[in-house]
Amino acid sequence: MLKLVLLSNALLFLYYLTSNLIYLFLLITAIVKSTSHQQRLSSMHLENLHLSKFTPPVTVVAPAHNEGGNIVESVAGLLDLDYPMLEVIIVNDGSSDNTLERLTVAYDLRPVHLLYVPEIQTTRVRKLYRSVRDPRLVVVDKESAGTKADAVNAGLNVAGSPYVCIVDADSLLERDSLLRVMSGIFSDPEFSVAAGGIVRVLNGCSVSHGALTHIRMPRNPIEAIQVVEYLRAFLIGREAWGHFNMLPIISGAFGVFRRDLVLRIGGYRAAAIGEDFDLIVRLHRFLRERRMDYHINFIPDPACWTEVPSDLKSLAGQRARWQQGLLNTLWLNRDMLFRRRYGRIGMLILPYMWFFELLAPVIELIGYATIITAALLGILSSTLFFEFLLFGYAFATMISIGGVLLEEITYRRYNDWRDVSRMVIYCFAEHFPYRQMNLYWRLKGLWRYWRGDTAWGELRRKDLSQPPDSSKSSTPETAQAAAR
Amino acid sequence: MDFASNWPLPAHLVMKGIAASNLTISALITFIVLRRWYRRRYFERLERHTSAIRRNWEGIVSGTIPPESWRLKSLDSEIVESILLDNLESLPAEELPKLLECARRTGLLDVRIYQARHNKGWSRRAALVALGRIRAPETVPALAEALDDPDPETRVAAIRGLGRTALPEAAIPIIEGLLSGGLAGLPDFPIKNALANCCRAKPQLLLTYLKSSSGTARELLARVLGELATADMGDELMVLATDPLPEVRAAAARALANGSPAVAFPMLAVLANDPEWFVRLRAVVAVGSLQDSRKIRVLLRAICDLNRHVRQRAACILATMEPYLTEILDKIIANDDRYALQAFISELDRSGAFESVVKAIHTKSRGSAVNGLLEALKQGQAALRPRSADSQKYENVVR
Repeated sequence: MLKLVLLSNALLFLYYLTSNLIYLFLLITAIVKSTSHQQRLSSMHLENLHLSKFTPPVTVVAPAHNEGGNIVESVAGLLDLDYPMLEVIIVNDGSSDNTLERLTVAYDLRPVHLLYVPEIQTTRVRKLYRSVRDPRLVVVDKESAGTKADAVNAGLNVAGSPYVCIVDADSLLERDSLLRVMSGIFSDPEFSVAAGGIVRVLNGCSVSHGALTHIRMPRNPIEAIQVVEYLRAFLIGREAWGHFNMLPIISGAFGVFRRDLVLRIGGYRAAAIGEDFDLIVRLHRFLRERRMDYHINFIPDPACWTEVPSDLKSLAGQRARWQQGLLNTLWLNRDMLFRRRYGRIGMLILPYMWFFELLAPVIELIGYATIITAALLGILSSTLFFEFLLFGYAFATMISIGGVLLEEITYRRYNDWRDVSRMVIYCFAEHFPYRQMNLYWRLKGLWRYWRGDTAWGELRRKDLSQPPDSSKSSTPETAQAAAR
Repeated sequence: MDFASNWPLPAHLVMKGIAASNLTISALITFIVLRRWYRRRYFERLERHTSAIRRNWEGIVSGTIPPESWRLKSLDSEIVESILLDNLESLPAEELPKLLECARRTGLLDVRIYQARHNKGWSRRAALVALGRIRAPETVPALAEALDDPDPETRVAAIRGLGRTALPEAAIPIIEGLLSGGLAGLPDFPIKNALANCCRAKPQLLLTYLKSSSGTARELLARVLGELATADMGDELMVLATDPLPEVRAAAARALANGSPAVAFPMLAVLANDPEWFVRLRAVVAVGSLQDSRKIRVLLRAICDLNRHVRQRAACILATMEPYLTEILDKIIANDDRYALQAFISELDRSGAFESVVKAIHTKSRGSAVNGLLEALKQGQAALRPRSADSQKYENVVR
């Protein structure tokens, strides 16, 4: 027993050391990459892309399921995007609320008989609508299959541009974000097959007519911690992985793809739990199997602002769901692991996702169990234990503050001193008890997947047209209970 | 045997790790605080100096305020250059000579040319972009030299700079770089943009080089020419329309849209039957823009094309030909091509003419099959799913 505990201890220590060294490496890479990207931006004039006759058209596809509360503002934001040749397709995915009615009234929709070729099979499309007020807007009304993937696929069938930008209907894109993300594609159009931008936390910000008017940190600690998490995940993780062309995921809330390639791999997999992660892994697989040179880019400056869960129940559901999506995709693509054919994807990023993302909560749980067992057996040196705990705490805090630093030296969306101070405070505060709760939710997600329970949790949403403070008084009756 | 003695690393290393992490945290926070403080001070100074310079702007441009009073102060010099460049890009052409004269007289232009020639990395790239914005002919040699830089980022910055000058002579080093293979591996997008900017006033320049080029460089030049070609280039475009490279034929088709209908139409009619779908597509678009009644015949053939994009574009043009809509529909029905009919009706819908055409058909009492199809189209998209035979045909088209 003693030997087992000691062996377990040694292995856990090595695991922990490796993961911390990887994070440190990612942080340093991200700082270097972000700085050079900033320099590149200074020599690139976006208005040239806007005026160029060679800028390809883009179709924005936004699936909407029971988004009646915010849909009009969201569509206004999408139509207001600064891009020369834009088409916006809203897929009303069997909404049972007034999503379609609100769109019909606000944009004067009328049914049209546009050519619909179901290149990817989806549930039945009931009708297509085009706006009289703005002909760039097309609405696809379809029966719900219960998945976002199916709705996006219907949008892909209707899209008429070589590039499609997939966004969530409840997210807000900054006005120049599409142009910025496309600049990543233009920099190497022959090889760039997809690009994603950063997703930021909308909670706490002010929104008017589908546009962000004032950026603030949310006051709710649950939301504020997620700001730190998102900065760390995007500005460190994705920036660094993208640099090595190993980006494992482009957020479903904001990503641009070559339409022909997405169609060739059969679109989004309707049965996928984490359809965005699944799509990127399948793209890697498809392109690697054909020995094609390609880039999947992360562009850090185009921002998409999305509402994050503001209560523990919604957050727990979301995190469990993410963990299930991770397991689902990794398991389905397990044959890519350690196969030279899949290059750095099979040899590096997928093993990383398995060992340091998927299995992390399990290993952390084993770590807690080992410590408790060691304490019960009387072999735990309390001094060493606290030193190790302190080291872990300090190191993780350092990485999080590295995310804040990256935000500061590059994009600086949070201008208020108080916001930055709060961000730094939450870098210290997120470890207890938030980290342990997150661990529990992720384990629960794995357990539920094991049992075959993959139902969506409910996420309470706020009305984007309301000022941020009104969110405090939102009740289950007023908040939109969206199924995804 | 205890936990500590079996620890994989000595305990003092853990203590060092804690100390290093804490030190880094303190350093990061201090950096963030100091940077914020410094930036606040910087922007306050910037604002003060910018308003002072704007107050004296006329004097700075005319030279009544001696350049020595601001040139040696880096912040002031930066502000003057920034305002000057913005004005060069936004003010009307008659204002430009005095601004250019200011850039020359004060030495700003010379400094940038020096930096573009001698600096490295980002500093050189910033100088190249600034030189492009100045749009003075003497910047071209310095920009052209940077095309030989081993760093692709610098070469792209030089191309952008040359493009921003919008001077025909700035196109020459880019084209020569293309033809010699010196720009190999660089993205097409900035090259095409730069050439389009530089050759806008003199597209014949592209034609000269196109004749002696081959391969991808030829395709790229043709693509730019397709956007810039004018009616007076008719004869040369005819030659390009028979080029073995489909990209060149497509560009010629695009350019022929600007030619005289009498000359362009016969060639476009031929290109509308090209083996490459994108050449046919360009030809159909070009035919659609010509004022020539013969185009209906070409478009009616194109609406039955095997390629969806060609069909749809032909339908889009046909659906706007208001007085002939029912006759066009008659002919499409006579072709017995369900895809052509679908494409046409969807475009009629898009153009808002659907209801009037349906009414016209009913009054003419068409056959039951047509009425059935129109009814199905009214009912919804389910009826638009391809029949099995059509599905096969469709599969052949998309592959």
